[in-house]
Formats: sequence, C-alpha cells, structure tokens
Amino acid sequence: MSENQDEKLDQMLRSRRIEPAHRDLAARIILKAQTVPQVQNLSLWQAVRQLFAEFHLPQPGYVLATALVLGMMLGFSTAPDNAQMSDAGSVTAQSYIASDEELL
Amino acid sequence: MPAPWPEKDDHELLALVQSGSHPAFAELVQRHTARFYRLAFRYLQNKEAAEDMVQDAFLKLWEDPGKWQADRNTKFTTWFYRVVVNLCLDWQKRKRPLAINEEMPLADERESVDQTMLRDEEQRILEQEIAALPERQRTALNLCFDEGLSNQDAADAMGVNLKALQSLIMRAKTTLKERMKNYL
Repeated sequence: MSENQDEKLDQMLRSRRIEPAHRDLAARIILKAQTVPQVQNLSLWQAVRQLFAEFHLPQPGYVLATALVLGMMLGFSTAPDNAQMSDAGSVTAQSYIASDEELL
Repeated sequence: MPAPWPEKDDHELLALVQSGSHPAFAELVQRHTARFYRLAFRYLQNKEAAEDMVQDAFLKLWEDPGKWQADRNTKFTTWFYRVVVNLCLDWQKRKRPLAINEEMPLADERESVDQTMLRDEEQRILEQEIAALPERQRTALNLCFDEGLSNQDAADAMGVNLKALQSLIMRAKTTLKERMKNYL
C-alpha cells in the first residue's frame, strides 16, 4: 500500500502542470539586454590607463602644428596693443618720478 | 534569431559575455530559458511572475557577468539555479502567496471530464501542499523533480551534500503523503 502511495506521489510530482511561457520570452530577454549597460569592474591600473586614454590624441603632429599656427596668429595680433600699453605705462611712471623730484 | 555559436559550451559563452558579447548572451538565453522558467513556475505558480524572474536573473547576469566565476568549479546551470531560486524566494517574501490558478490547461485532453476534474483537483491540492512545505524541503523537491537535473546537481545548487538533500526529499514526501492521503 505504502509503495503504491510512493509511486503515485512520485508520478504526481513528475507530472506537475507547467503553464508554457510565451514563445518570445527568450527574444524579449535578449532585446532588453541590449538596452542595459554592463557594469565594469576595473582595477586601479585599468582605471588609470582608461583616464589617460581619454586624453589620447589621434594625430599629435596635426594637433601640434595647429596649436603653433594658432599661437603665432594670436601672438602677432596682440603684440601691438601690448606695446602701446607698456608705452603708456612708462609715461605714467616718468610723471610720477618728476612729481617726486619737484617735491624735493 | 539564429544561434551563432551552438557548439560552444556554457563556460566559453560566459567568458564572451564577460567581454560584452551580445550574441554569446543570446545563445545562453536561448539555451536555458525554458528550464529556468519551469523552475520559476514551480515556485510561483504564475506565468507572468515566473517569466519576470527568469528575465531578471538573465539581466542581472548580463549587467554584471563578473558575478559568475569559472574557477569555482561549478557548472553554470547549477549556479544559475541558485540565482533563480533566490529571486523566487525573495519575490515570495515580498508578495503574498498567489492563489493556485484553477484554469490551467489540462495535461491530457483525452481524459473524461470526471477524470480531468479529479486530476485537476489533485494537482491543485498538491501545489498548495508543496507551497506550505518548509523552504528547503520545497526547494529540494522543485530541483529534484526537474528533468535533466541530477540529485548531485540539485545538492550543489542548494549548497548541501547528497545525503542532506535525500533527507530533505524524504521529509517532504512523508509530509505530502500524510497530507494527501485522500488522493493517493
């Protein structure tokens, strides 16, 4: 009797009904994963390398040449104004010296 | 979507997933979704909830594939069974137990109406009694009666030895036999 019960129970446990999943469940999971970014566990060294990689210049020659040209253009365009300012400054200084001498 | 690497084993696919490969992840999902859905359904007795659990488990794996460590000498499926079981148990703790769906499709359409009703009733009572079992006994039962999972794999998934698993199964079945004696 007990053996029969065991068999019947085993049979019932094996034949437990399972409602089938939607056919597109796997496709849904795959699609959803495409919108989820992966967490990256970086070591300290990898993080430092990644930081330096952010400043990597793809064509340093062109960058250097462009910087030089821009620097020269800026230098030439601002040089005369500086000269005027320094002249004006020297005049002002001379007037101060002269006024000091008058007092003495 | 065609399976790009059906010849690769789970561990090779996981290594590719860890390097961000979507096709490897897709292959893994297509390979194992059905079996993990079955397990989740046995716990939750609810199609939508079981689908959500499987989706959550796979998305957690995709999001942080570093959680899987190949050097632990565990099969992917054994480890992932544990992930799904834990998600299901968490879900059950958060929600109230679901009523057993009484309108589930019938297993065999050739049965007479009386047989069908009796069988339906048996299944409903069985699910209720399984749901009332202690957590570890329920997990052991759900894992051991899943096709394709050996007792050793089930023991590994639960983190117990084989004898402990057999003891849990024995106790669960004794309880069920007692509670279901009118149907056996």
